[in-house]
Amino acid sequence: MAGLIQDIKLFGEDIPWFQGLREKGMEAFRRQGVPTAKTEAWKYTKPRDLNADDFVMNDSAFLAEFEGAHEEEHSGCCHHHGENCHCHEEGCRCGEEIDVRVDLPFDGYQLHFLNGRFVPVYPVLPRGVEIMTLMEAVVTQEAKPYLGHLVDLEHYPFAALNTAYMEEGVYIRIDRNVKLDKPVILVNHTEADAENLFYNLRNLIVVESGAKAELIEWYNYTGAEKSRYFANVVNEIFVERGAELRHYKMQDEAFKANHVALNMARVRSDGFYDAFCLQRGANIGRNETKVLLKEEQAVAEVNAAYIMHGWATLDTTTDIEHLAPETFSHQLVRGVVGGDAKGVFQGKIHIAKHAVKTEGTQLHKALLLTDTAEIDVKPELEIFADDVKCSHGAASGELDEEILFYMQSRGIGREEAKQILIDAYLDDVINKVADVSVRAWLKDRAGA
Amino acid sequence: MVKEKPEIADESGDKYKYGFVTDIAADTAPKGLNEDIIRLISHKKGEPEWLLEWRLKAFAFWQTMTEPSWAKLSYEKIDYQDLYYYSAPKQKAAPKSLDEVDAELLKTYEKLGIPLKEQEALAGVVAVDAVFDSVSVATTYRAKLAEMGIIFCSISEAVKEHPDLVRKYLGSVVPYTDNFFACLNSAVFTDGSFVYIPKGVRCPMELSTYFRINARNTGQFERTLIVAEDDSYVSYLEGCTAPQRDENQLHAAIVEIVVLKNAEVKYSTVQNWYPGDKDGKGGVYNFVTKRAACRGENSKISWTQVETGSAVTWKYPSCVLQGDNSVGEFYSVAITNNRQQADTGTKMIHIGKNTTSKIISKGISAGFSNQTYRGLVRVAPNARGARNYSQCDSLLIGENCGSHTVPYIENRNKTAVIEHEATTSKISDEQMFYCLQRGIGEEEAVSLIVNGFCKEVMQHLPMEFAIEAAKLINVSLEGSVG
Amino acid sequence: MTKTPLLEIEDLCARVGEKEIIKNFNLTVNEGEVHAIMGPNGAGKSTLSYVLTGKPGYEVTSGKIRFKGKDLLAMAPEERAREGIFLCMQYPVEIPGVPTTTFLKHAVNAVRKHRGEPELDTLNFVKMVREDGKALGIDNEMIKRPVNVGFSGGEKKRLETLQMSILKPDFSILDEADSGLDIDALKVVADGVNALRDGHRSMLVITHYQRLLNYIVPDFVHVFADGHIVRSGDKNLALELEEKGYAEFVKEK
Repeated sequence: MAGLIQDIKLFGEDIPWFQGLREKGMEAFRRQGVPTAKTEAWKYTKPRDLNADDFVMNDSAFLAEFEGAHEEEHSGCCHHHGENCHCHEEGCRCGEEIDVRVDLPFDGYQLHFLNGRFVPVYPVLPRGVEIMTLMEAVVTQEAKPYLGHLVDLEHYPFAALNTAYMEEGVYIRIDRNVKLDKPVILVNHTEADAENLFYNLRNLIVVESGAKAELIEWYNYTGAEKSRYFANVVNEIFVERGAELRHYKMQDEAFKANHVALNMARVRSDGFYDAFCLQRGANIGRNETKVLLKEEQAVAEVNAAYIMHGWATLDTTTDIEHLAPETFSHQLVRGVVGGDAKGVFQGKIHIAKHAVKTEGTQLHKALLLTDTAEIDVKPELEIFADDVKCSHGAASGELDEEILFYMQSRGIGREEAKQILIDAYLDDVINKVADVSVRAWLKDRAGA
Repeated sequence: MVKEKPEIADESGDKYKYGFVTDIAADTAPKGLNEDIIRLISHKKGEPEWLLEWRLKAFAFWQTMTEPSWAKLSYEKIDYQDLYYYSAPKQKAAPKSLDEVDAELLKTYEKLGIPLKEQEALAGVVAVDAVFDSVSVATTYRAKLAEMGIIFCSISEAVKEHPDLVRKYLGSVVPYTDNFFACLNSAVFTDGSFVYIPKGVRCPMELSTYFRINARNTGQFERTLIVAEDDSYVSYLEGCTAPQRDENQLHAAIVEIVVLKNAEVKYSTVQNWYPGDKDGKGGVYNFVTKRAACRGENSKISWTQVETGSAVTWKYPSCVLQGDNSVGEFYSVAITNNRQQADTGTKMIHIGKNTTSKIISKGISAGFSNQTYRGLVRVAPNARGARNYSQCDSLLIGENCGSHTVPYIENRNKTAVIEHEATTSKISDEQMFYCLQRGIGEEEAVSLIVNGFCKEVMQHLPMEFAIEAAKLINVSLEGSVG
Repeated sequence: MTKTPLLEIEDLCARVGEKEIIKNFNLTVNEGEVHAIMGPNGAGKSTLSYVLTGKPGYEVTSGKIRFKGKDLLAMAPEERAREGIFLCMQYPVEIPGVPTTTFLKHAVNAVRKHRGEPELDTLNFVKMVREDGKALGIDNEMIKRPVNVGFSGGEKKRLETLQMSILKPDFSILDEADSGLDIDALKVVADGVNALRDGHRSMLVITHYQRLLNYIVPDFVHVFADGHIVRSGDKNLALELEEKGYAEFVKEK
């Protein structure tokens, strides 16, 4: 565990409520440790590889700034505080306009992280949208009513660990009734020099009553093929009354990388949380989404797709808690598993007592491409109210030989035919993404 | 008189029951579990050394195990040293007349249409053989079966008369290391049934562990072993639709089935142990390990169960499909009412090629009860062409019960096709009103709809069993509406 | 000849949820009479049928209903059915797994028991269903299937009619009995219904269109709008209605 618990100085240790949260996180993680084969929630995804002691954590970028430490240790430094740097040394990129912007086929408010650190280049935001670093939100107390409120430290060891090292991340608030015109895009670049890096990222997203927003997360690896690192992400998401958040995620990590993410969303009455995640890459990639449908008429759509080769384990885990009457959730997950890879889907629909007139549906389908591919599925219903409509389905199989033959007989090459079928298979769920240009981009990434 | 009746020995092992009465009335073993108790059990049963050794090994292993806690069940911790593992059939507690018997129990008998004499026997007022001419029934059957080479006797008897068969198969499907309760059973099992169907024989009648009532005192740790040789067939019925007066709190049984090439075994269970009262007081804890190994090509095992009794049920009849083209089926109706808890389902382990399995599970929860379907479908890397279809439906009656579905699906072969569907619903107001509008009363309507809901499973029960089971469902749901 | 009242509705007001749908409704149906209630969509025609049969959620706020002189509102839905009220539903519900024969037998015997008649044994029951079914084009195969499951619209209506014919209710309510039926199916259903008219049994035919009344000819026609009867007449009223449309009548009040 040495690798995951390291003695590093973090910013904000003098803020009691915040430091208190971190300490609780550390205690909870020490109690639980890295999950083992006996941990039910991690039954199929073995986080052995995460329990390595050669991970390296970033020093606090914020402390460096506030204590002036960076003047001595500027090399490879400080993308976050450009104009304050006066070192003028060769190789220092401070003071330059760092161009991290990426070309995407759709417009949006881009925010960037590089190897787990926020790059302080802000887009011009319209009125009614506030974006700041997590630490700013902590210092100004903005984050206080939200931070840590949704995460159950005792059941999510990696979220507890994330809480212990909270520092990097952003706070996004969409004010009441503001309808955001373009998506907020969080691009997480990981470069080759991130070898063995272990970073924690904590984002807070608050969509106030009647507001409407779209958030895109892109974990984009651009370094050498074999880079190994561990990204541990927690998003706390608040969808208030009548608000709507569409949350799309593209996980494009290095194939030896590890990516564990927990999305904790709370939806109030008439609120709508629409999530989609496309997983590709990573050695272990787990995208876990927990939604609390807290009040009547709260709705969640949680969809996902994964496509994998090599020996990856990609894991989609969901837990939808219907806590009030007349709440609705729908889940559709599709996966394509090749190589020696293992696909994991664990989906749970929980319906609390008295949460009547509720509807929860879930469907998981997977395609196995090779003899060594594996799929493990655990769709779960936990129901404590009688007047509900709940269903789940799961199916797995291979590409239909009859169809392949038919396509071949029409002159389409076998590999091409397979690709066409795989694309069509995934299209079914990617089509659930409402934003047409984002949908097209995701399809493009899926086929890449 | 006892000595004149050794030939009674019907399938529940009465021979030994009578033996016990005379032998140990004076030396009932004390509470608690240790090697001496196991030696005593083995000695009293006149077992060979190898079986004692096996029991002792199981006991040693059991001491290293912990009771499983993963099931969605909550019950008071069982003190294993506070139980009797060897005792004479209870006589002291028997009521003297039906007047002394719980009125609720009598009502149930009446609804199930059980004749008075039988009711007395069930309640323990009179001896079983005072009701049925079980001697003649048993001997007639046994003679007929013996002609065909079928062995159907108590397992204790089989240990003595067919030691090679028992030694070859006992523990071969459920090893004593399998799980906590199976291990306990292996150490202390008291009796149970043994069935052997020789090659090419179709058993001409349904074999039944009990004629309705002679199950009394079979014991808490029952062990059944069924072996079906190549090209054979047998249908086996276990249980009884009438709730039995039972002082045993803990039951930990094992059923092992070996199915060889082209053979087929149907195993049907109706379980209606005492479920405890309305407030959850009393009732049986039922921790059962049932497993069938389809060892030969084209072999088939079919489990059908109707579970309505017990305060706590922990039971997953499983199919290990080793032979190519072998087939496993699991049809289940589980009903929980009041404060009952059931965590039940199946495991389908596909190992051979082109193996198929089917799971149809119907769960009905009422009152304050909680029920979980827990199932595993696993396809091993070499199980090319494996097929599974699972359908798990739950029906909730009332707003205070819970219904949970936890399937595990593990596929390691791309050619396997696995489908799982589950739904949860309640009896709709529309259906209810439709029945009422045609003059059908509320309870009758519920039972109609519930029986309709369970139909896919019930039709797999042997006819006479199915009729009783349908009645039982109605009785189990009483008081769940209105 | 004095007529015996079978159903008497006095100043009935009823609501569904917060919404008042039946307002001061009055109607008396005597033995042997067939009354038609016509009205525009959303007038509350189906609500009336559910109030009469006691469907939960339909709340009577004031007024009285007497059936054979007894207080109908004090009776549970199944008691009303056993007393002889039958609702031929517009959208009969599906009951998976329950064979139609089983369902019918339970219903028939519940009603017979209530009337003090002996329960039918299987043989006589099957005979009766077969005979009555034949006229309606209902074969054995159909009644083996679960109640209404996978039935076409026409099959559902024929099954409703079969139930009516074997339960022999004194008072039948036909709620949009022609919806979803082609003309041939409609004739079959109407013949089944007419076969029950014996001078004692009464009916309430609820319909939006006049078409059905060519086949089941009513003694009285009532126009129902805004929660009560706005005009009554004989069968010619239906024709007038067909010609002029509802708007004319709704204005009248």
